[in-house]
Amino acid sequence: MKAIKNSSWLLVILFIAIYPMTLGKLYPYHIPLLIIVGIYVILATSLDLLVGVTGQISLGHAGFFAIGAYTSGILSATYHISPPVALGIGLLISGIVAWVTGRSVLALKGYYLAMATLGLNVVIYTLIVGFQWLTGGATGLRDIPSFTMFNLTFKSYSQYYYIVWAFVLLIVGSCLAILKSPLGRTLIAIHSDETAASIFGVDCPKYKLHIFVLSSLYASVAGSLLAHYMGFISPDDFSFFTSIRILVMIFLGGAGTIYGPAVGAIFLKILPELTYRFHDYELLLEGLILIFVLVFVPGGLFRILIAMKNQFQNVRFAHWKW
Amino acid sequence: MVTKHSQKKSQADGYLLNIVDVTKTFSGLTALLRTSFSIKQGQLKALIGPNGAGKTTLLNIISGLLQPDSGHTYFRGQDLVGVKPDKIALLGISRTFQLVKLFTVNNATVLDNVMLGAHQRLKPSILGALFSRSRMLKQEAEVKETAWEMLKFFGLELEAEGSPSSLPFGKQRLLELARSLMSEPHLLLLDEPASGLNDAEVENFAGILSTIQKKGITILLVEHNMKLVMNIAEEIVVIDYGQKIAEGNPGEIAANRKVIEAYLGEKKL
Amino acid sequence: MRMINFSLLIQFLFSGLTMGSVYALLAVSLVIVYNVSRVICFAQGEFFVFGALMITWLTSSGLSAPIAFLLTILITSMMGAVLERAFIRPVSGSSEGTIIVMTVGISLTLMGVALLAWGREAHALPPFSKGEPLWILGACLPLQVVWIIGATVLVLVVIWFFFNKTLIGMAMRACAENRLAANLVGISVWKMNILAWAWGSGLGALAGMVVAPLLFTQYASGTMPMLKGFIAMSIGGYSVLGTVIGGFVLGVIEAYSIGLVSSQFSDAIVFTVLIAALLTRPQGIFGAVKQAGI
Repeated sequence: MKAIKNSSWLLVILFIAIYPMTLGKLYPYHIPLLIIVGIYVILATSLDLLVGVTGQISLGHAGFFAIGAYTSGILSATYHISPPVALGIGLLISGIVAWVTGRSVLALKGYYLAMATLGLNVVIYTLIVGFQWLTGGATGLRDIPSFTMFNLTFKSYSQYYYIVWAFVLLIVGSCLAILKSPLGRTLIAIHSDETAASIFGVDCPKYKLHIFVLSSLYASVAGSLLAHYMGFISPDDFSFFTSIRILVMIFLGGAGTIYGPAVGAIFLKILPELTYRFHDYELLLEGLILIFVLVFVPGGLFRILIAMKNQFQNVRFAHWKW
Repeated sequence: MVTKHSQKKSQADGYLLNIVDVTKTFSGLTALLRTSFSIKQGQLKALIGPNGAGKTTLLNIISGLLQPDSGHTYFRGQDLVGVKPDKIALLGISRTFQLVKLFTVNNATVLDNVMLGAHQRLKPSILGALFSRSRMLKQEAEVKETAWEMLKFFGLELEAEGSPSSLPFGKQRLLELARSLMSEPHLLLLDEPASGLNDAEVENFAGILSTIQKKGITILLVEHNMKLVMNIAEEIVVIDYGQKIAEGNPGEIAANRKVIEAYLGEKKL
Repeated sequence: MRMINFSLLIQFLFSGLTMGSVYALLAVSLVIVYNVSRVICFAQGEFFVFGALMITWLTSSGLSAPIAFLLTILITSMMGAVLERAFIRPVSGSSEGTIIVMTVGISLTLMGVALLAWGREAHALPPFSKGEPLWILGACLPLQVVWIIGATVLVLVVIWFFFNKTLIGMAMRACAENRLAANLVGISVWKMNILAWAWGSGLGALAGMVVAPLLFTQYASGTMPMLKGFIAMSIGGYSVLGTVIGGFVLGVIEAYSIGLVSSQFSDAIVFTVLIAALLTRPQGIFGAVKQAGI
């Protein structure tokens, strides 16, 4: 709980907590947007732990997103299993798939790993579309019941906002806890030089696999949340394009910082709202912004924000110096 | 041939490391051919030989990064062949690399590098990082103290929070050494640690090696710098084209005909 | 149990060879760029799309087909060269993840441009030559396929000549084999990278052009073919000949998966082949071991 000591953390949590009751009432349309934003923050930060921190390029994150969504969707809609249990089963399946595939795939490096995980995503996607009788195929799965827990049914936007962002805080918090710990240091070492890390006793395959599984579990949670919130899911949300989008969020925001990808997710999900009049330009704009950041601001948007914060603090205390 | 009896005997004689008949070829090129020698506990032994003689290959085999085609490397009686590098590290073997392999991504600092050397002591895990945080942080604080002492010993404390890539080359080599000592190894393998250092730095380095040896750490030093080797090595092994051609104390080696020929080419009559 | 007759199997073979040659062309474009500059261009699919859409637009604007063809190749090759210099070179020292995402950024940008230029509709190009399809062994072979396979063969001949008989081509091969050595003998590695990208984008566009009459191309059509090109590379290896073989093998596997299993699961089969190829390839798993050698 030391993380909470930092006062800016408290401010953020407070802001998130009171948003629906204050600004949310003024701009009610934003709440549904923020729910989706929250889900993608979970996806981006969980993938960052694997890609940005540990250096394993995975283009298959949407595959685990799909497993969570479809397990929750199918089990609760068709088999009337309670949502929390369905979520748990989704975690189990995601974890097993990640474990089994990770053991072999994580031995690959760079492009090969990226392509193998992308292949995994496509296989999952294709199976979802193919097994129409189970998943609804390309037309999607409908009539997914709302999330219920302890006899509480989550129906309104505000309720989903709170549960999603509660998970966001938990998951982002745990990723930060890992990053700022000896484990984080070990993962960075693996990222930097696996051979050297192993010389100091680091069992690289084991750690890579554990982080791969953990990130898949978080993606599964995001999927389950999406399924219950939307009441309807279709394969389009889980193609490899989504995996690529999540990767873009990470690098746009600042890979390896956990905060950065969260900012990247927020940015990329809010951008379409800002450009909806120029909808066709959105793709081009995304590409150009990404290129610009990669060439000129390698630390990502997060670095820009930190620089701005430092500027602000310097200005505030400037008059105390001479 | 090493029988179990003779192997146990050499253990009893205080031999920490036994290289026995190690052979390694790379697509037709023989790097090592039935190389054998031993190192006593607490000894500083140097491994020298012309370039490409197979010295780094041998270090890679001992530390588990390569598997020999045949032969054994016994550490305290246990055969290391087939054991993964991270498990070998846990047995108490540490090393440095010919081209420094420091951790530089994600803003890793000099301090981070040194602390990583103590990974064995901390053995972090996901569950530990999330659920027993206070215990883990306490352990980390202890390691951090040791790390600071190590940095001070090597004169790196001013650059502790900086990036390893901003260190001058000589200090990078010292950082590598500092990192390798954090696990309190029994055996330290050094791969040309003095290459690229100027005379003053080499002298400083020699002093550091003596201090390390006095702490009881056994050292296998692969080196090209003959002055350094002659000054501090107790025993020297010379290999050429993967074969051991001489073994003995510095005096014997300096006078050895085969060694001279290996380094200077065929002696002209 | 469906009745599979012989001519149906031949039909699958033909469509397999057709798509196989497209995959081969794309794979060759990927492999040239990769071997010389060590970058896998994620945007290759976009050059494929640009080739198809540009020639469609040029010919429908009145330009004669051969001129449109040449102009498209010229423009796309230049695009590739410019993009390499402008965007890839600045990040060439960064991590692989950054480079991958940079090529993704280029891909998104080009996709965005294609969307703005040609809209969301799919465009079809009239076949290069009018005429009835050929009938061989009871299976139908559209004339365009002759053009496709012909173009592939021609490209291979040109590639063989360029990389074996011209100085620049040999310089590029030197770069591919050993960058440091090439640099030391005076070959400008930077220039070779640009040239490789020009080749890559030009070939990608060519692939798009020759197959355009058979497919409906729109701004997002390029990514899947590019991925299939990568699969071809993974199957066949990282030499020009190897990837061509890989492309045809992939095309045939895909065609028979679609025909004999189901079009819905063919992608699952094809990408499982990819994963299997990656896991059994020496380059992927044993590369790390080689690193620790002398």
